[in-house]
Amino acid sequence: MINFGYSINKPRVIDIDRNNLHKSNEILREMPELQACIGCGSCTATCTAGNLTSFNFRKVHTLVRRGEYQGAYEEMNKCMLCGKCRLVCPRGINTRGVVMLIKRKLGDF
Amino acid sequence: MKHVIVIGGGIAGMQCAAELARGGIRVTVLEKQSDTGGKLRNWHKLFPSLTPAGEVLGGLNHTLRRLPNIDVRTECEAAELSPRRVVLATGEELECDAVVVATGFTLFDARIKEEYGYGIYDNVITSADLEEMFNTGKVSTTSGAAPRRIAFLHCVGSRDEKVCQRHCSKVCCVTGVKQAMEMKELFPAADVFNFYMDIRMFGPGYEEMYREAQQRCNIHFVRGRISEVSPTIDGRLQIKAEDTLTGRPLKIGVDMLVLLIGMRANDMNAVLEQRCGLERQTSGFMRPRDQFLHNTESNVAGIFYAGAVTAPKSVGESLNEGTAAARGVIEYLAAKECTDNSTIDE
Amino acid sequence: MSFYADFCIPFIAGATVMFAAIALKYVTWLKRLPKSDLMLIAKGIPTPRTAGAVWEIFRESLLHRRIFRVNPLLGYMHMSLAFGWFLLIVVGWTETVAYLGMRWVPLQGHVFFKYFMPMNGIEGHKPFFDFVMDLLLLFVLSGVALAWFKRFRSRSMGMKRTTKHVLFDRVALTALWFVFPARLVAESITCGLYGGGSFLTGGIGAGLAAAVPPEALAMAYEPAWWFYSCALGVFFVAMPFSRYMHIFTEIPLIFLRHYSLRPEAKEKSYDNFEIQACSRCGICIDPCQLQSQLGINDVQSVYFLRDRRYAMLQQKIANNCLMCGRCEAVCPVGINLNTLRLNSRSTMRNIPNERRYNYLAGLDRSQGEGRVGYFAGCMTLLTPKTLAAMQRIFEAAREDVWWADKDGGVCCGRPLKLSGEVDSAQKMIDYNKELFRRHGITTLVTSCPICLRVFREEYGLQGVEVLHHSEYILRLMHRGRLSVKYSAATFTYHDPCELGRGSGIYDEPRAVIEAVGHLTEPAHTREDALCCGSSVANTAINDAQQLRIAEGVAQELDATDAETVVTACPLCKKAIMRGTARRVADLSEIVAENLGR
Repeated sequence: MINFGYSINKPRVIDIDRNNLHKSNEILREMPELQACIGCGSCTATCTAGNLTSFNFRKVHTLVRRGEYQGAYEEMNKCMLCGKCRLVCPRGINTRGVVMLIKRKLGDF
Repeated sequence: MKHVIVIGGGIAGMQCAAELARGGIRVTVLEKQSDTGGKLRNWHKLFPSLTPAGEVLGGLNHTLRRLPNIDVRTECEAAELSPRRVVLATGEELECDAVVVATGFTLFDARIKEEYGYGIYDNVITSADLEEMFNTGKVSTTSGAAPRRIAFLHCVGSRDEKVCQRHCSKVCCVTGVKQAMEMKELFPAADVFNFYMDIRMFGPGYEEMYREAQQRCNIHFVRGRISEVSPTIDGRLQIKAEDTLTGRPLKIGVDMLVLLIGMRANDMNAVLEQRCGLERQTSGFMRPRDQFLHNTESNVAGIFYAGAVTAPKSVGESLNEGTAAARGVIEYLAAKECTDNSTIDE
Repeated sequence: MSFYADFCIPFIAGATVMFAAIALKYVTWLKRLPKSDLMLIAKGIPTPRTAGAVWEIFRESLLHRRIFRVNPLLGYMHMSLAFGWFLLIVVGWTETVAYLGMRWVPLQGHVFFKYFMPMNGIEGHKPFFDFVMDLLLLFVLSGVALAWFKRFRSRSMGMKRTTKHVLFDRVALTALWFVFPARLVAESITCGLYGGGSFLTGGIGAGLAAAVPPEALAMAYEPAWWFYSCALGVFFVAMPFSRYMHIFTEIPLIFLRHYSLRPEAKEKSYDNFEIQACSRCGICIDPCQLQSQLGINDVQSVYFLRDRRYAMLQQKIANNCLMCGRCEAVCPVGINLNTLRLNSRSTMRNIPNERRYNYLAGLDRSQGEGRVGYFAGCMTLLTPKTLAAMQRIFEAAREDVWWADKDGGVCCGRPLKLSGEVDSAQKMIDYNKELFRRHGITTLVTSCPICLRVFREEYGLQGVEVLHHSEYILRLMHRGRLSVKYSAATFTYHDPCELGRGSGIYDEPRAVIEAVGHLTEPAHTREDALCCGSSVANTAINDAQQLRIAEGVAQELDATDAETVVTACPLCKKAIMRGTARRVADLSEIVAENLGR
């Protein structure tokens, strides 16, 4: 199991200077509304997959935006795409589109 | 004697009417309800000083009755208006020299946010319901018991695209802090949790109040918006949220959930736009001529705004706007008289 | 007798290319069909289905009955071109037989018979054939005239927008526009010089003979036939690579469809028949709400099929579809547009991953016990009024219920499948199937039409009857287990796409509503109902766009002036609520509020 975002061995700091933000910028170019996230956590609270696993949509996409890509694809693969998050998002973010976009940019399709 | 019609007998309208009357103008206040006072009539205490709402309202009502030339018409609704004429819902027409629109706001209907269970489950109440409970002195769960755990949810019907209310209602944050403290005062043994997205303490003394709530009253602030509420078998409420500061989903059973409902624009604002040529903002609130020097004027000369008709505002701000609008009206009438006279001279 | 002239070369070459290309296509497609499909064909041929297919080909490929239903003028245009041309060929062939008896005549001999008559010294005209052929030519020409007219004034043909075409289409279209006028000119000149013809070619011929000196007419004679032959040749060469391939593809498609071949969640050779049977008529454009509400003009089924056919399909086109099925409902060829789009998405995105969703193993958060299982659906958990209402209904009917997902379940798998991740969706399907089996339910009720559809179509739940709550409630009422009070309340009903067009459930919710109050229908209803815009099949449009579609729908529902808008899908409910101040309720709510006894 991937302990996403927490690790004793890796440096804890998100080093924006060293992270390659290229993919992150690409993702935001295609889905600018993702920047509108205010981190309220509604998506994660309602998440069908998050109810059963450690999957945290808010955290994964925030880390991706900071250039922390490792494990993001695998985490997003836990999503069932049921769409509850899109119904609750107070910022109207196309969350299902975000899942697919991150998978496309960081995965293999 | 000049005649000005103030539409709306809430605090902004009352303050404005008093100020106009002091300036020697005949005022007619049109109030939809059976009495003046607007939303404040149902409020218990005001943040941050915990001044009883009745004190403020009593003062305003006293002034209104004391001053000559003020005619308050209750249970009276305006249907259409122009700078020189107001048509009532009954069809009656009133002549005037200027109009002040002080129609305030509408409380968000929490039933729309179905997932929070208002109107479905017992013990899900709104901040307005809680103030009424404070007023009647009967604060308890539906079964009459004292709540052992209470949750407040901020931003219900504010900053929410899904209910088409994008704006921040401004005052709910501090209302949530105030009510949490009042509940803690009433039920010292109870745990109080406030669920929030952001805490916006914009006014004087608000931040201090927030700190007091945290430190003295031991109120728990959880940064996360509640996504769903469901009933438990033992008659309590189960809340789901994400504790975003730890990044983990959070579940909590509570005896009472208070929804801090926001302010939304009146449906009548659309009528004002369509029939009276007044401009609205995307939030649905009326648009003042500009945000700085003409904040209480509309885009139509002779029609003025006071209070929450242009945006969510606190009690203090609404009162100030009542005064500011009145000053604006007096200046407008004086300037108009000048030009009228000079036209006659020619 | 000779049936050759140099001007025939373009025609002969064109026809050869066309028949070769078509034959090659058919053979390749048929050869690549999966074995199961080939078996279906083999089993189907010696049955009455073959006759049924022939009858349908006559009705649809020649008469275009379905287009007539969209708009009679448009139908006439298609019919005059297809049926008219067909009759020209048939009667033309009969004509040569009438003149020459049963003998072999090369293809160009039939097509250019009027030219070869004087050349071969055939004297004495048959007025009957002259008349019929002229009549048919006029029939076809009227269709061509309408086609020209439609290009410039599509609205008058009941279409707000027509298709934007690719190069091959333009070449073929231009050639086709000239084929029949060219024929008219060539035959008229021939009649002018050699007599014959009826009211049309004969009439024009006589006019020409009177107006133009015979030498000039003779000079125009050969070029006119050359031009006619060239127009035919160009059309034939372009045809297999253009949209006109539909003329011949629709015929095998109708046979295959009668033999029960269908597209599936993954691409297969059969899809070619459906894709190339699209005539790009553009009837699918107008009903698309992405077009009418949002002005998105390049994603509609006609463009999707075109892009897929020419292997230039992009994800953003494939993904941008509500899969509401409004286009499928009007497609005159009956192409399975949603399934084709789904399997395109699958080709683009399906990455089998064995380890995915391993976390599902051993989970069970269900509550209660009973032969009836209730699967609310993920979205329904966000509309708790529906849950509360269903609970009251179950209690009133004294039904013991097993609650499958009250405390959060596993998604039914359809949203993931609709996004193209077909293999991964199967893992959720398998999980839920096992869960249902383990709890031994005999009836499965759901409040979510999305779940309903996948339960019915993919789960294969033997011994378990799958019902939408509208069907279930109506059944309880019919069996006397649930009684409701009728009141003066007025309702209007919004058909959810997955429930109506998707599962064919239109009457049950209406019957339930009519038992509690008065029902008024909105402007678009039943098969023609609008989509709320929140469809899980679309991950491309943003919130503002979803809202605009919802507002459009809400406006129509508001226009009915009913007190309550009723729907039977949590997504539709949430969407419509954003667009109206009116009360929006799930079907179960209005039942629970009006329980009798």
